[in-house]
Amino acid sequence: MKRFGDRVLFDGARLELEAGSGYVLTGANGTGKTTLLRIVAGLEPSESGRLAFCAQASTVLDYPEEWRREIVYVHQQPYLFRTTIEENLEYGLARRHLPNAERQARVREALAWAGLAERRDVPPHKLSGGEKQRAALARAKVLDPTLLLLDEPTANLDGDARRQVLELVTALCIENHTVVVASHDPEIIRLAILNRLRVSDLRIEAVE
Amino acid sequence: MDLFEPTRLAFHLLLTGDPGLWRIIWVSLWVSVFAIALMAPLCIAFGFMLAKRQFAGQRAVVVLLQALLSFPTVVIGLVIYLLLSRHGPLGAFDLLFTPWAIMIGYMVIALPILTVFTVSAVQGADPRVYETARSLGAGRLQAALTTLWEVRFAVMAGIVNAFGRVVSEVGCALMVGGNIAGITRNIPTAIALETSKGEFAQGIALGFVLITVAIGINVALAWLQGRGGLE
Repeated sequence: MKRFGDRVLFDGARLELEAGSGYVLTGANGTGKTTLLRIVAGLEPSESGRLAFCAQASTVLDYPEEWRREIVYVHQQPYLFRTTIEENLEYGLARRHLPNAERQARVREALAWAGLAERRDVPPHKLSGGEKQRAALARAKVLDPTLLLLDEPTANLDGDARRQVLELVTALCIENHTVVVASHDPEIIRLAILNRLRVSDLRIEAVE
Repeated sequence: MDLFEPTRLAFHLLLTGDPGLWRIIWVSLWVSVFAIALMAPLCIAFGFMLAKRQFAGQRAVVVLLQALLSFPTVVIGLVIYLLLSRHGPLGAFDLLFTPWAIMIGYMVIALPILTVFTVSAVQGADPRVYETARSLGAGRLQAALTTLWEVRFAVMAGIVNAFGRVVSEVGCALMVGGNIAGITRNIPTAIALETSKGEFAQGIALGFVLITVAIGINVALAWLQGRGGLE
């Protein structure tokens, strides 16, 4: 349960995700899609609630630190650290103390996946909006997380940039990642590979 | 007054490596550098905590630190003098009129500058920095260090500012250092003394060094920020 002043979100709501499946959260603005993703990612403090992940149970008040290695959240407008794209991708791998050779190999692979191999040495401020979003998706994918949470990945994008990000989101789902996307984008909502969930203040329900 | 002759003498003193003059410069620099080096990690950590953590009295602490920014250094010198004097609570350490006493004063002067600059830098940082770091698997400390790294130029501006303040400070250094030649005489206290004696050459030479140090540090910071073009 999350309280914003007098307003209460998700009181008694339940969300169950199946490993390897993709989900899209729909709902009007302000119904709590982003808040829900952030609670699951351990970024948003909430009043009460229980979480179960990979056979481990916890409460939202006592979010296990090790889950942060397995659950990755990507902001609607991702923040890229002020260094090169390559080092951005390496950040999470370094936190996991992977050997340098493996880190380099995984970063190369993820850069190629996102179509950013030629942009590896470029600082974030020289990237377009679409490239930033793709870099953020690659930075999340390179960690091979158990659960990937994407907040409006195509918002503020149009044309080729939007199409490329859509392709990457689809690819992530096809690659058997467990992905939850919060989106208003009709094209994402219509993706056959994603299960649709509607979020309202009080509950989260499956939509056929 | 003829300015040319004292200036010529000043450059002569500098270029011929006058030992008395360079001793004064050395005392100034090492005491200031050590004071900042000791305080910077503590104040940056404290500043980060003040900016990020919510606790009772947090606002009051920030306001107090901001007030300390304009605190007269001569009063800081007086308090430290009383603490370090023979009958003071720290008199047993026999630190008064030593470079260590000046260093303590400088640390107190630097504390609010370093902390307030850090608070301001961290509060101005994009909140997504910390969240992104945490979401990519960084622990609290690593995420804090990542945030500080992202705002490093603002934090470094605080360090440069604090150094500039202490290296040119005269009131506190004079009171707790005693301006003893070869031991606690530093650039600002020497300038004050030489000027009062009507000996302008050494004062001009030391003033030139002080200005060079100040400009040099700021140029270095600007250069680093320029390299941040990557950034």
